[in-house]
Amino acid sequence: MTKEKQRKFDRVFFQNLVVRQIRQNYLDNLTGFTWLILQPLLLLGVYSFVFSTIFKARIPEAMDIGFVPYLAIAFWPWMAFSESIISASGSITANSALIRKVAFATEQIPLATVTATFIMNLVGYVAVLVVLQLLGTSIQWIYLFLVIPLIIFMWVFACAIALCASAIQVFVRDVAQILPPLMTFWFFTTPILYGTANLPEIVQTLARWNPMAWFVTRLRELLLFGEINMGVGGLVMVLMITVFSWLSLRFFQRFSGHFEDFL
Amino acid sequence: MDTLVSLEGVSKIYPRVHQPRERMLAFIALLLGRVPEQGAVVLNDINLNVVRGQSLGIIGENGAGKSTLLKLLTGIIQPTHGRVLTKASIGAMLELGAGFEPDFSGLDNVRMKASLLGLSNRELDERLDDILAFADIGDYIHEPVKHYSSGMVVRLGFAVITACKPDLLITDEVLSVGDESFQKKCIRWIEQFLQQGGTLLLVSHSMYVVQKLCQKALWIHGGTVRQYGDVFSVTQAYLAWHERRSAREKESSLQATGDAASYRIEKFFLEGAQDDNPPIYAMGEDINVELQIYSPDDRPPVGVVGVVRADGTPVYGVVSDNEGILPVKLRAHYYRFRLRLNRIGLLPGSYSMRGHSMDPEGVRLFDSCEQVFTITGNTKEVGYIRLPHEWLD
Repeated sequence: MTKEKQRKFDRVFFQNLVVRQIRQNYLDNLTGFTWLILQPLLLLGVYSFVFSTIFKARIPEAMDIGFVPYLAIAFWPWMAFSESIISASGSITANSALIRKVAFATEQIPLATVTATFIMNLVGYVAVLVVLQLLGTSIQWIYLFLVIPLIIFMWVFACAIALCASAIQVFVRDVAQILPPLMTFWFFTTPILYGTANLPEIVQTLARWNPMAWFVTRLRELLLFGEINMGVGGLVMVLMITVFSWLSLRFFQRFSGHFEDFL
Repeated sequence: MDTLVSLEGVSKIYPRVHQPRERMLAFIALLLGRVPEQGAVVLNDINLNVVRGQSLGIIGENGAGKSTLLKLLTGIIQPTHGRVLTKASIGAMLELGAGFEPDFSGLDNVRMKASLLGLSNRELDERLDDILAFADIGDYIHEPVKHYSSGMVVRLGFAVITACKPDLLITDEVLSVGDESFQKKCIRWIEQFLQQGGTLLLVSHSMYVVQKLCQKALWIHGGTVRQYGDVFSVTQAYLAWHERRSAREKESSLQATGDAASYRIEKFFLEGAQDDNPPIYAMGEDINVELQIYSPDDRPPVGVVGVVRADGTPVYGVVSDNEGILPVKLRAHYYRFRLRLNRIGLLPGSYSMRGHSMDPEGVRLFDSCEQVFTITGNTKEVGYIRLPHEWLD
């Protein structure tokens, strides 16, 4: 086993990768950009119709603000998270032409995919927040200074999972099939369509270990209610995600030198 | 000396990856920090030092492991055993495609590739005109790369590398794709690059290109180094090996009729070179040939001496009869011809000297003998033989 000098992360190249990804996925086809806004809007419409009109879901915390803003605040960040992981998971195989012919730090590929997806979804998120404000929901803009680091941290978390998934996908092609249902499962176990208060006591304790539950709850508290709840729980989260991300990078680099053999 | 890249006992085994089970096992092995060692051995125990200013040609038949060696040198793949140490910026042009994304325009791909080679956006903007001028593909630069011909892809890929001026230039058999004028442009550029102290690693099947651009050559055969050294001796040995192989395939039609022949060859040898086998002559040396023939009826037989390339292509032949030469009678039934080829004009390579015996009338061929020999020398002339020539004003 040999240790090669670590190939370095190149800023200009990474920027180019992100721009290329954005163009490829959203700007270079006509429907891409529209779809980016439309798809979450449609889903949001369907979910709010099903849950608030048909099921008459009652969310104690959302009594004053209504179901749609309550859902929207959590839904866009989730979409960014879930979509970025799913599309990054296949990114190494998709870029095999480059990887087989040029030596570079391959972790840049899944990271660029995650970054591109996050950037585009956040554009949508800002648009939604503005629309909500115009429709009469009072958004606590002042807490953006906390929301931004929160979202950056969510991006770090997504990057970590994307690194693992994309590396495994090179060896085990089934990842592309397994991942979407897993993300759906995660979506329904995270308080996005409902609030933590709806959950039985024991499930609430479990949900505390779900980083995404922590993220969306904090986002709601900050943007809708103007509450800051970032005590010990936040510290634990930061620590957990930092360690996990470091492990993911090590995991990825353990395999990255061997991708060429398996692509 | 300033070593740019060195390989120490490097081996590469491509793991078996067809079955999902095999991939899974490889994954687990890697996870546990082991390198999969089952599979196809492509390179075995290669040691190589590339020093600054050197130009090295890598030759070998298809599947010998040349491309894999380049991938190891550039760091695209990791060796299974051994170490690869790199201390240089490398501009590599491996296989076709050059890592271009087919759906994007040539310009976008240039931007991408340049940033991979460590060029900042500003540096690229400064050199973009040079790149486009070198590639010379006109308005195609705005078209998606998938619409390019393979020659255009190579033009563009090479043009980006010329703009980045790496310490070490590595190219695979890509120049052969470009047309005549582009190949010449590339060769001119590489010569200039070498003059300015650049270092080159080149894989090519064109011995002409290798001899023109490289000082040294590495012959890879079946994943191991067969020969390494001065470009002329290695390429000559390689070509000779190829010729011998195709000659073997043809199976000599000149099966000596041997002892049963009535006018049989008793002795056939090249003088002054008995020690080496096959004998080696420098180009321009004299070669003395001796041919002894047994004559059953004691009449003087006719002798033939000729030179063929190792693949059997005739180069030159002479018949004693036609030149009015009679053999020397050694004793009853035994005759001898001696022939000197003055200042042999054969170009370096592997040849065979052939001797034949004929009846005294020079009508029927009775026996044949063959002796392989090698001509060495440093020359960039092409063909088999040096024709006397002078350049005029």
